[in-house]
Amino acid sequence: MIDSSIKTVEIKNIKEECKNIKTFTFNSERFEMKSNLQKPKPGQFVMIWVPGVDEVPMSISGVDDGNWKITVKNVGECTNKLHELEVGDYIGIKGPYGNYFSFPDNTSAKIILVAGGFGTAPLKFLAKEMLKNKYNFTLIQGARNQEDILFLEDLEQFDQNYSEMVFCTDDGSFGYEGFSTQQLEKIITKISIKEMKTTYVYTCGPEKMMYRVFEICEQFDIPLQASLERMMRCGCGLCGLCAIDPLGLLVCKDGPVFDSNQLRAMDDFGKFKRDFTGKKIPID
Amino acid sequence: MLEVKISRLELSSPIILASGFLGISSSSMKRIINAGAGAVTSKSIGPKPRKGYKNPSIFEILPGTFINSVGLANPGIDEFINELNEMKIHNIPIIVSLFGETIDSYRKVALKAENAGACAVELNISCPHAEVSSIGINPDLTYSLVKKIKKALSIPIFVKLNPNVTSITEIAQAAERGGADAVVAINTLAAMVIDINTKRPILSHGSGGLSGKSIHPIAIKKVYDLYKVLKIPIIGCGGVSSYKDAIEFFLAGATAIQIGTALYQGIELITQINEDLNNYLKRMGYESITELTGVSHNFKLQEVPDF
Ligand SMILES: Cc1cc2nc3c(=O)[nH]c(=O)nc-3n(C[C@H](O)[C@H](O)[C@H](O)COP(=O)(O)OP(=O)(O)OC[C@H]3O[C@@H](n4cnc5c(N)ncnc54)[C@H](O)[C@@H]3O)c2cc1C
Ligand SMILES: Cc1cc2nc3c(=O)[nH]c(=O)nc-3n(C[C@H](O)[C@H](O)[C@H](O)COP(=O)(O)O)c2cc1C
Ligand code: FES
Repeated sequence: MIDSSIKTVEIKNIKEECKNIKTFTFNSERFEMKSNLQKPKPGQFVMIWVPGVDEVPMSISGVDDGNWKITVKNVGECTNKLHELEVGDYIGIKGPYGNYFSFPDNTSAKIILVAGGFGTAPLKFLAKEMLKNKYNFTLIQGARNQEDILFLEDLEQFDQNYSEMVFCTDDGSFGYEGFSTQQLEKIITKISIKEMKTTYVYTCGPEKMMYRVFEICEQFDIPLQASLERMMRCGCGLCGLCAIDPLGLLVCKDGPVFDSNQLRAMDDFGKFKRDFTGKKIPID
Repeated sequence: MLEVKISRLELSSPIILASGFLGISSSSMKRIINAGAGAVTSKSIGPKPRKGYKNPSIFEILPGTFINSVGLANPGIDEFINELNEMKIHNIPIIVSLFGETIDSYRKVALKAENAGACAVELNISCPHAEVSSIGINPDLTYSLVKKIKKALSIPIFVKLNPNVTSITEIAQAAERGGADAVVAINTLAAMVIDINTKRPILSHGSGGLSGKSIHPIAIKKVYDLYKVLKIPIIGCGGVSSYKDAIEFFLAGATAIQIGTALYQGIELITQINEDLNNYLKRMGYESITELTGVSHNFKLQEVPDF
């Protein structure tokens, strides 16, 4: 059973990943979980309470032993305040929540991860687990420019026999010039028909990007898993704020990871989300 | 076996979704109906969009017991009508929970809900952490509000009771006199949690309302007391997480029940409770769940302690 209490923990480590993004590490070992502590899996998220400010969803970007990591982009009030915190300050944790990415049965499958912005956080975690399990994969990371590329040091240490890194930036300052989706198309068109049958794509990033990834995968009949984001209040399937029409799938409980069949059935995907009042608004 | 009738409302199951749970989008409420609920209640809807309180606003404090302070966040009735229209197409029995800033604004929201196809309205006079709670603690105001709405509407009117009052029966009787078709008991119990590391209240609003497992015996007692004084049906609400909790509400005097917090376990819980209720009725030799309403009142209880 998932424990939905809020536990306060000290921040153990803070790493500046790039200008606007920091990784925070905290230790989960002292959480008094009711059940055996479930170790978060790639794709799962936690609700992070910044005392006195707000509580917002954040993907787990890494786990080692009892240490959990989140990688946070400073975009507004709560994340701004979080960026001001120091090692030793308290934050509150609720979760881990949601489902997670599932691995292909066969380790020789061709795997492509398409990451954009802080969406790289859960995919880096996924990539690490894939390496551990001897899967081969290509990670395409898209960013605006060189300064926004994430986890470069980490990624360079990945075993190159199993992993390939592709970078692209809008301004061409690092890696290819252009969008990650263009690189995805380029890679897919080079895949043999036989190999196409065992190709799998995973994505997390801005929804417009993920929608394009979805279109490409549909065109080539490649199964996709995409991690979606919606406004969240409870994180645990009670409030209904994160529901996606028309099936009423809850991003916090049925997701955040959805497969091609589910994505196909969504009218809202790439188009609509809800604000904090529950009103439906277009995705920009 | 599970059919119940509350005022003119006929439901295929006595399980109704409580207000505040998954009650924002027609799509998730449709899921609740498909899981076997007799009706759904919307999130409490007001005249205007409202963001409510910031997070943290919902968390668990004991296994199955939650505290919340959402502050009546809602998109406003004009926006919510889109969802109601959608529900009408799919024939989903929806009770619109609503509130207003004044008695007249309650009336306006209620009329819009009725016109958009609500099968009943539930007046939220009981939210312990919002300003409308003032109506729910005052019998005269409760009477005036219900009477005014009753005059304006033709669909049934339910009144959701606030347990944080000196006498819940007095408020309920005022609602009955005003013309309420049923009461829902209970809303959440005023509560608070303070974090010992940061030393501050965790909810952004500080105080909130308790729901789930641990309020169930309190809700049973309220329903038991209400059954003694009311003629109108009572809908039991508070901590239902299994068929046993539902049966208990019936025995205390309920005609139907609402379920909320326990849904953190998943929507399928509703299907399970329906099935278990059926089995219980068969095992006990009842033909209808309605036969159970108020049965616990048939027993003579000890009134004076022994010396
Ligand atoms: C499942 C999930 C995983 C996420 N993982 C990460 C991550 O790994 N790293 C990261 O930097 N960000 C992540 N986010 C986004 C992050 O939650 C928002 O950036 C954060 O809430 C912004 O809060 P703010 O107060 O700083 O900004 P605000 O100015 O309040 O809001 C800026 C934008 O952030 C989003 N947002 C605000 N509040 C919420 C909320 N309660 N729930 C969801 N979105 C909200 C909205 O799109 C809003 O327009 C994730 C979101 C979800 C739903
Ligand atoms: C997160 C949350 C939101 C709620 N929102 C409302 C609301 O908008 N209107 C209302 O009348 N009751 C609201 N309630 C109270 C519930 O409808 C119900 O009375 C209470 O939770 C007890 O039932 P339960 O133990 O089955 O959850 C809310 C409760 C919770 C936990
Ligand atoms: S965030 Fe509340 S149901 Fe998903």
